[in-house]
Amino acid sequence: MRKSLLLVVALSLLLGVMPAAAQTKIDVPVWIAFTDAIRLGWAQDRAAEFNAMHPEYNVTVQGYANYEELFAATALAAEQGSLPAVVQYFEVATQNARDSGYFKSIADALAGRTEVLGHEVNLDDFIAPVSAYYTLDGKFTSMPWNTSSAIWFSNMNYLNAAGVEIPSTWAEVEAACEAIMALENAPEYCFTFPNHGWFFEQWIAQQNGVYANNDNGRSARATEVLLGGEAGVALLNWLDDMAAKGYLYYSGAQGGASWGTVDQAFQSQQVAMAAYSSSDTAVYTQTGIDNGFEVVASFLPYNQETGWTGNLIGGASLWLVDGLAPEVEDGALGYLLYITNAENAASWHQVTGYIAIRQSAIDLLTEQGWYDENPNFRVASDQLSQSTVTVATSGAILGGFPSIRNVVTQAVDTVLLTDQPAEAVLANAIASANAILTEYNLLYAE
Amino acid sequence: MQFLVIGMIAVVGAAYLARRFSQSGLKPAFGAVVGAVVGMIGSAALMIPLDWCTFDPDRTATDMGFGILLMAATAALALGATGWIAGNLAARRTVFSGGTQPGTFKGWLTPWILLAPTIGVLALFLYYPSLDTFRLSTLLALLGAPRTRFICVDNFTRLATDTVYLNSVATTILISIAIVVISLVLSLFIASMVYLPIKGASVYRTLLIWPYAISPAVAGVIFLLLFNPTGGIINYALNNLFGLRIPWLNDPAWAPWAVIIASVWKSLGYNILFYLAGLQNVPKDLIEAAAIDGANALQRFRQVVLPMLSPITFFLVITNMTYAFFETFGTIDYLTGGGPLNSTTTMMYNIFLVGIRNNDLGKAAAQSIVLFVLVIGFTVLQFRTAGQRVTYGA
Repeated sequence: MRKSLLLVVALSLLLGVMPAAAQTKIDVPVWIAFTDAIRLGWAQDRAAEFNAMHPEYNVTVQGYANYEELFAATALAAEQGSLPAVVQYFEVATQNARDSGYFKSIADALAGRTEVLGHEVNLDDFIAPVSAYYTLDGKFTSMPWNTSSAIWFSNMNYLNAAGVEIPSTWAEVEAACEAIMALENAPEYCFTFPNHGWFFEQWIAQQNGVYANNDNGRSARATEVLLGGEAGVALLNWLDDMAAKGYLYYSGAQGGASWGTVDQAFQSQQVAMAAYSSSDTAVYTQTGIDNGFEVVASFLPYNQETGWTGNLIGGASLWLVDGLAPEVEDGALGYLLYITNAENAASWHQVTGYIAIRQSAIDLLTEQGWYDENPNFRVASDQLSQSTVTVATSGAILGGFPSIRNVVTQAVDTVLLTDQPAEAVLANAIASANAILTEYNLLYAE
Repeated sequence: MQFLVIGMIAVVGAAYLARRFSQSGLKPAFGAVVGAVVGMIGSAALMIPLDWCTFDPDRTATDMGFGILLMAATAALALGATGWIAGNLAARRTVFSGGTQPGTFKGWLTPWILLAPTIGVLALFLYYPSLDTFRLSTLLALLGAPRTRFICVDNFTRLATDTVYLNSVATTILISIAIVVISLVLSLFIASMVYLPIKGASVYRTLLIWPYAISPAVAGVIFLLLFNPTGGIINYALNNLFGLRIPWLNDPAWAPWAVIIASVWKSLGYNILFYLAGLQNVPKDLIEAAAIDGANALQRFRQVVLPMLSPITFFLVITNMTYAFFETFGTIDYLTGGGPLNSTTTMMYNIFLVGIRNNDLGKAAAQSIVLFVLVIGFTVLQFRTAGQRVTYGA
């Protein structure tokens, strides 16, 4: 009797609750540009945890092949009025994200709240270079997530054999190369770097060179590209000199295709040193272990004439779509705050090699002894946290940036493969880049 | 200015059609009237959608010249077509088909219903996008931008001073000629060898044709690994054998050859297949007759086999040229990405770089129209010149 009563009560409760629950589940679609099990899987696991914490929400994470594809899918979705709640945009599309009008700044959405759905906000906890890059017009605009920096990897077998220290300046790179290339078992070349626009940006920011006018496009819309001026010429001259001396290996690949050529040269020990993104710290360290050489990561060498101001960030951030229903927006904000809280920022760093973007996450990792055991993993965050935040090291925000990057890699290509002087090549590149920027501003600016 | 041009074209059109009409036995006066009207309509065909913008006072002389050229070209097309149709009509032939044949449909509805799906798909996915390309080519248009801007024929006239573009035209021609010549000579040589009756011929014939079944992108990846300057097997072998290290992918003098070798390898199987079939169709008695007349093997090949193969060679030149123009894209993309120093940026690849990499739809549309016109012109030229020297049958 009692049992059947219980059953009836349970059934009626279930029947009463279930449809209600199904009706009130709030969908929060999130689009990111990863399809690999590690990164997409990580984001989906966090979504599952978030949904368990907040049963009224249903956060779904969808992966796209790369930034460019996601960028196109977003433009299409905007035309059809079917944007998700959150979209991941790479750093150089920041101006585009801003001009598109699809997105709302995180600061506006938070409207001064200190917590959303029980997830703490604390934007001051983000390390300075990160918050500097994604703060536009004094407002925290998009949520940083996968942030990296350009660092330097050395094959210690060669450096030890040559009896040289890891170089920290361009002059030291040259001196180290002289010793390494004099070895009996010298590698084919001394060092290499991906001819990707990002490395040009890193090396001119180190010299405090500015990429575009109006404070790198941060005080007002950038209308003129500068490409670092003197700093750009100095960089091109150094690279040209290194290539002429036979130290620098240039694979001929530009942009996205350039990463793989550097991987291959470093892994097959055809070069002793390489500039690369910290996002692959785990892979590079493991490559050395697998192939019997020690890999040590260090800061990206800088121009000793100008000194080191700092490095800028790379990677992507998560943008909140404008015009969402308030409860969807809160769910999206909650998820963004959840995946970037101290524990999750630390876990994201450990599984990928992207830097820990919060000071509290860095503290947590330090406490656990992670950095002592894995010194290569601390290089990028140290490099960023020791950077002086200036207009140059905040990074440029400008229209048509992805196309302008192609102009820059072409300029590096020209300097390395022809006898044209760096000044003339850079002047041509500036002219081409300005044409792109002018056309972009014609179509996008108010 | 534009009215002057229209007037001149109308006069030329009248004179031309008057002559064509009298040749076809029609009244020349009628031809003159038709010619004037068609000339006027033809010359305005592209200018009306462009709103005569090339004649605006703030346009350069180049723009105006380009506008006049466009008017002359469209008028010439219209006049030529009218003359051709009139000639056929006068000779009491129907314009398109040769009258009723057995097996044709009685009504007009059934064939149209049967054709509708094909025409629908073509219109939606081929004709409409092609026409839209013309519209895009007159715009400053970036992918995802909230607005576009009409810039007349700037996208076209700027190509004349665009060094990267002009360079890509030269690269396309050189790479294409190299691919076609090397591929045809090599495949004819291999086909002649394979044609010899040897044990196990069918097995290695099959093996030779395999590369054709591989997609250009995969061919690109395979050769990327082979040609890699530091870790590639080709340089490893060259270094061990001759102490040579060739900068295949990072020297502008060598990179086009990497693309050519990969593309030739890729198209070899297809060409061998056709030459094999061709060789099997060369009548044995002709070769025997030549042999009896005292021709040696080389002479028999040059005087008998080669002419007999000319229809296949002609066909292969056209298909290989098309391949070299359009299909090398995947190989280039994986192998060199158009570099170094744009030495492997063909016209097709440049369209991709401008339109997709740089999101610049307007400029890419203009370049693809130029490529389209060039390919049509090239094909017509091929049929006019090479086509006449082809022997079909004995």
